[in-house]
Amino acid sequence: MGKPFNVDVVTPEAVIWQGEADFVAARTTEGEIGILADHEPTMGALSAGAVVVNATDGSTITVGVNGGFLQVFHNQVTLLTDRAELTEGGKEEALRLAEQLGSEEDNGGAE
Amino acid sequence: MASAELRQIRRRIRSVQSTMKITRAMELIATSRIAKAQLRVAEAKPYTAKMTDVIRNIAAAGGLSHPLLESRDMRTPGVMVVTSDRGLAGGYNSNVMRLAERVLNDHRAAGFRPRLFVIGAKAQSYFSYRGYEIEEAFLGVTDTPTYGDARAIANVLLDDYEQEKMDTVEVYTTRFVSALTQTPVLWPLLPIEPPEASAETEIAGYTFEPGPEEILGRLLPRYLEGTIFGILLEASASEHAARRRAMKAATENAEELTRALTREANAARQAEITTEISEIVGGAEALSGG
Repeated sequence: MGKPFNVDVVTPEAVIWQGEADFVAARTTEGEIGILADHEPTMGALSAGAVVVNATDGSTITVGVNGGFLQVFHNQVTLLTDRAELTEGGKEEALRLAEQLGSEEDNGGAE
Repeated sequence: MASAELRQIRRRIRSVQSTMKITRAMELIATSRIAKAQLRVAEAKPYTAKMTDVIRNIAAAGGLSHPLLESRDMRTPGVMVVTSDRGLAGGYNSNVMRLAERVLNDHRAAGFRPRLFVIGAKAQSYFSYRGYEIEEAFLGVTDTPTYGDARAIANVLLDDYEQEKMDTVEVYTTRFVSALTQTPVLWPLLPIEPPEASAETEIAGYTFEPGPEEILGRLLPRYLEGTIFGILLEASASEHAARRRAMKAATENAEELTRALTREANAARQAEITTEISEIVGGAEALSGG
């Protein structure tokens, strides 16, 4: 167990997850990024896919995101995304959800 | 005949009371929806706040240059008016429409041909009746706005802005100050006003993945969507609050009217009885006298 830090998953509708974690794995447009405590200040654009958060209570939260942004600053990680879906079904489920979010958008997510 | 008058008053009482049932129901519905709308406004705040934060950080990293941030020479102003689809909300719609109309007239007087966008059926009928040309009307949005609605609106505005069909976009909408106060305001939307960098961000020295320019390019359209979403949510909360107040006043008026009419009905009934008695007495006297 590493040193914990705060994670917020924020969408326009609500803050969908907030808590302490010791590891976050995400994928930016440049490639995979893993975040531990005391990570340097970083700003990234997320590509559609899964973000894995290892919470300090032992659970693993996987978030399917449809693009968005990642900000790391003084042990505060913020995920900003316009559409996200939480799942406990692991990474595969999250990827499926992310894909689903993406396709909803293509066929009239904007109505 | 007196009884006809009495019948008429009773009919009016019934009609006022059935209207009162409707206004009271609308008042209750609006009341229950204000709280929910207010909650949504609060829940949307962190997102836009964080976005502003990110833009601020990019500004601190040295580069804030993007077409959406630069003001150009104004040839065509864009104006968007946010109203509701349904009325019975007191001055809610007319306040914001009057504000917008004044500005539209100013633009015209200055020789511009403003592009007008409207949200809500009220603004659509108001402005088309007065002969304004409406570029696009978004209907069925303001009751419970979704992020998809905000995105659709943002896309239309962005397209026109990027093709230089218009050089600014101003939104006329209603701010939810409190449950009792909602004020019509002007909200400059485009070009995006870059937030000021704070001292804290400059020290941080961020790593950008990809570069700051590219993040900014992806971020600004999302930021615009988020801002419009916030505007819609606040307008929706204002609408419900204005409707609640209007319906409360209407219910109170109906109550008062019922009281006044009941009094009138009683007086009419009394008069009728008095007439009847005097007729009987008069008749009896005539009989005994004869």
